[in-house]
Amino acid sequence: MEKKKILIVEDETTLQKTLAEFLAEDGFEVLCASDGEQAVALAKKGKPDLVLLDIILPKKDGYEVLTELKSEADTKNIPVILLTNLESPEDIDKAFEKGASTYLVKSNYKLEDIAKKVKETLKM
Amino acid sequence: MKIVNDLNFRKQAKELGISMWKTPSFLFLLMGIITIVAMASVYYVSNFYESPEVLVIAESVVVITIFSIGNSIILEVERIARLNKMKSEFVSVASHQLRTPLSAIRWETELLLTKFGKGLSEKQKSGIETINLLAIRMTRLVSDLLDVARIDQGRLILKKSCFDLEKIVQETVHSLIVVAKGKNTNIIFKNSGTPVIVVGDAEKLRLAIENLISNAIKYTDGKGKVEVSVRKKNGFVIFSSKDNGVGIPDEQQSQVFNKFFRSDNAVKYQTEGTGLGLYIAKNIIEQSGGNIWFQSKEGIGSIFSFSLPLCSPVKARHFTAKAGSKHKA
Repeated sequence: MEKKKILIVEDETTLQKTLAEFLAEDGFEVLCASDGEQAVALAKKGKPDLVLLDIILPKKDGYEVLTELKSEADTKNIPVILLTNLESPEDIDKAFEKGASTYLVKSNYKLEDIAKKVKETLKM
Repeated sequence: MKIVNDLNFRKQAKELGISMWKTPSFLFLLMGIITIVAMASVYYVSNFYESPEVLVIAESVVVITIFSIGNSIILEVERIARLNKMKSEFVSVASHQLRTPLSAIRWETELLLTKFGKGLSEKQKSGIETINLLAIRMTRLVSDLLDVARIDQGRLILKKSCFDLEKIVQETVHSLIVVAKGKNTNIIFKNSGTPVIVVGDAEKLRLAIENLISNAIKYTDGKGKVEVSVRKKNGFVIFSSKDNGVGIPDEQQSQVFNKFFRSDNAVKYQTEGTGLGLYIAKNIIEQSGGNIWFQSKEGIGSIFSFSLPLCSPVKARHFTAKAGSKHKA
């Protein structure tokens, strides 16, 4: 079976690295972006099966990235899981309104749980 | 008694962190004295001088003095309120900044243990596990501090949606079984087997329930028994957690829900704890339209309970239908 491709959008390099290594060990192909603009470009070029998206990002924030991905025919069907430290009900509602599949608060989740959510979303 | 207490300037000055001459109650008293003295002297002056100019001047002096003292009271109160706000803001910003490095420590240690653990000795593994557990504990502390800062600033916003309380209790009990076993304590959850749909913020209420049950476990030693139950009563659902632990001394029971409160016997018994759990739980439950209460006897145990409004039948039906269709998909 072909490897599923995940795009990780995270500006904090240590978090990006651990998440990427964990998912790679779990058998995923991993792409990484450190800001919003890079994220949109990579999503269009790399055709990931799923995007893990932070909200507070340089250049373009996570909501803008999400809106852009959902408005383009190529990328609108890619499921997006938001992975952030924001946790107010407004942030969560806004994310779902814009088309996020799942919303995870970083400090509440282990890597294993995140990988599980990714697999659930991809129906693996 | 209250008056004497209010007049204890030194104590008030210490509490507010300002000098005695600036405490509102001292300035207020001063204002009172000046008013009385001024009235007496105006009366005295008016007996000696019949000219209205002198009277007007005397009165103006009194009014100006009182006005400036009143003004300095207001300024001081304003300054204290601003400082208090800055403190809450500092706590939220600082805690928020701590979250990223803490996540990094947690994830990095988890990665080491689960994916790159080959070749590590048992000792090395257990060391890394400890770091991981401590980082998780610190993360909890940081979220508690954030919640307290939100409560103090009136910014704790709760979602209002219908959810199955029984499922959340079940999951929480399940996640705490390991901790309970480690303390040789048994948790029993008497579930009713049917969904109990309530209105509130599921995630925050999960936190409140976790605080109550983990307290029950924490303060129960060996051969302990914690009984958790959920039942319906008059449009409300009542959650209870009963333990046979150390209990709370009678004279301290009124302070149980205060911020940072820890009872004397609890501190002796278990050093870990911040005294924030019940304060947070109370705020979450009351803001969700419920009530929280307890019964406790030192050396025998405690029962902590809360009530929450049930979801209206129409919405509850909608919820069950939605959950059902999700399940099928």
